[in-house]
Amino acid sequence: MAKRTRKRAAKRGGNKTADGNVAAPASQTPEPSKLKVDAPGRGKQRREALRAERNASAAAVDPASPQTPPEEPAFWFGFEVTWAKLLLGRFIFFGLLAVDALLNFAHAPRYGAGDFNVAQLPLFDLLMPTRTSYAVGQLLCAWLFVLAACGAATRLVLPLATVIYGWLYFSSHLDSYQHHYLVWLIVLLSCFVPWNKPSAEAVPATRVRSWALRLILVQLAILYLWAAISKMSPAWVDGRTLGTQIHGSMKALIESTVGIKAASVIVILVELTLAATVWNKRTWSIAAPLGLALHIGIVATNLEIGLFAWLMVGLYIFIVPDRIWLSMVEPLEPVRGYVGVVRDWFGGAIGWIVLFASMGLGLVVALFARFDYAPTVALVLIAVLIGAAIVDRKHVGRLAGANLLAFVVWIIVDRSSSSAADYYRFWGGSSRRLGDVKTSEYAYRKMTEVAPDDGQGHFQLGKLLLARDASEQGLAELRRAQQLEPLKSRAYTAEAKWLSTHGKKDEAVMKAREATIIDPNDSEARSLLDSLGGS
Amino acid sequence: MDPVRHVRALVATWRGRFILAFVVVQLLAPLTYYIARRDPHDERYAWRMFSPMRMAQCKVDFSVDGQQVPLYSKFHEAWIEIAQRGRFVVIEEMASKLCADNKGKRVEVSLDCTYVDRKPVHYGGQNMCEHPNL
Repeated sequence: MAKRTRKRAAKRGGNKTADGNVAAPASQTPEPSKLKVDAPGRGKQRREALRAERNASAAAVDPASPQTPPEEPAFWFGFEVTWAKLLLGRFIFFGLLAVDALLNFAHAPRYGAGDFNVAQLPLFDLLMPTRTSYAVGQLLCAWLFVLAACGAATRLVLPLATVIYGWLYFSSHLDSYQHHYLVWLIVLLSCFVPWNKPSAEAVPATRVRSWALRLILVQLAILYLWAAISKMSPAWVDGRTLGTQIHGSMKALIESTVGIKAASVIVILVELTLAATVWNKRTWSIAAPLGLALHIGIVATNLEIGLFAWLMVGLYIFIVPDRIWLSMVEPLEPVRGYVGVVRDWFGGAIGWIVLFASMGLGLVVALFARFDYAPTVALVLIAVLIGAAIVDRKHVGRLAGANLLAFVVWIIVDRSSSSAADYYRFWGGSSRRLGDVKTSEYAYRKMTEVAPDDGQGHFQLGKLLLARDASEQGLAELRRAQQLEPLKSRAYTAEAKWLSTHGKKDEAVMKAREATIIDPNDSEARSLLDSLGGS
Repeated sequence: MDPVRHVRALVATWRGRFILAFVVVQLLAPLTYYIARRDPHDERYAWRMFSPMRMAQCKVDFSVDGQQVPLYSKFHEAWIEIAQRGRFVVIEEMASKLCADNKGKRVEVSLDCTYVDRKPVHYGGQNMCEHPNL
């Protein structure tokens, strides 16, 4: 019992952080040179006197009496992980969230479209996100998460990210993915995790206490428990549900091995096992391989759940036993020294110079990002960065680096995904369907600028231009689409239709014939050809 | 530490109270799906990922004074997809918008859902402007 509980008196000896978490330092006694030598102010004297009085009265209480102040449960307040694990988990998890935010950017056009929204919580009905606010929110989140990944001003950026992420999630049923709800809960709890290095002397094996991290693991256990309960129905157990949800190679693999029915039962057993083991250090060696196998299995099913399966894999960094991470970082020990030397270069005034350089560079990088509103958001973020630097003055150099990295992540995700182009594609499509042709044309034109080699933008823009009798431009766009999509007949068919309605029968027949050669199943081209007597 | 003492100790600090409230809410919130939610298709906050209900497919039609509404020209397709999963609250809000746009007219919803684990169910049929809940 005594071993399992941490008494208040013992806690006061630790290196207590602002949220009450305690780092267990190598030495409990601060160096004399670091002790504050100024005479304490009157307020401090009063607080110390009160504390001494409280301690004296606490000592006077009979320990067996029910009046004794309760001990803080070690289950929560004595939970420790190594600094190496915390650092790795922080970098990977928040890094993944940053990428996820940028990938979600493409969905912005659905927000506010048709002036319709249903908030998840009625409280948010008045705070309906629009295309603009959703897009800006995701860019902000991505930036904030990169800063959090780097451990920069986490006490500021994580609460900000929690508020923005929560607003984007709860203000519309459009995002009713349960995993986004989980992410919000974890980001909320992350606000209470001491993500920063516990002390200058901390080494990878230094242990960091965090009740919030334990709570995150308990939250995962609750999720697994309810997920298992939800599957305890004949439709899941007999394999019907799983059989219709997974496809491709994973389905083939399951069918050729244990079978879908057995796999369905195994999933329930795995989830129940994870519910019982994921929060308990002693059973992490069971939870880690099981959970990783489950979530990597989900990755392999290609279910359309974005990066969620990877986010879960990222969370397992906290569940993989510490000794594994320690054995992995051991060879990197010499590098730590160099990192420390480089970090020292950016202290003091140099740090501020580097910060302003980072702001300028970040702005330049943002100008090259194809995300809508990127330069404007980058300007706003300069103000946030200055605020963060004032709050976290000791780590200005780190803020500078994190800021630059955040914009580099924007660019990397932009150039390696179709998120920016999809944003315009979805915006153009939904505007067209909702009858806003002018906006649709603008969006598709932007799409052709952002993704000039994507045939869809040219095809849709060409059709819109032809519909408003801008024939020369429209035909040019359709022909560009034909060049870019030589195996798709739609641009040929669209041109043939326009030619046939503008008295150019022979040319229309030729185009329609080309369309049917490219795609013999193009019924529209076939019927047009038939009607023109060209078949 | 025995459970009562554990809870007493938690209640003594703000962090403990936060932990306690968080765990209780998270343990009990999913229960509302099973005992108090009127819409079986709405699985939010219940951790029912990949559940049989997730496989429900619904055909949703709206009509104003008997005339079918072309949904794609009124609502973004993302809302129609959610309606096709049978989410009552979204369908009711869609009907509410149609009522507001067509004052004095009869707005009807027809929702036909098929499930993996139960018989098909039909919802709707009433004038949603007078009886807004499915």
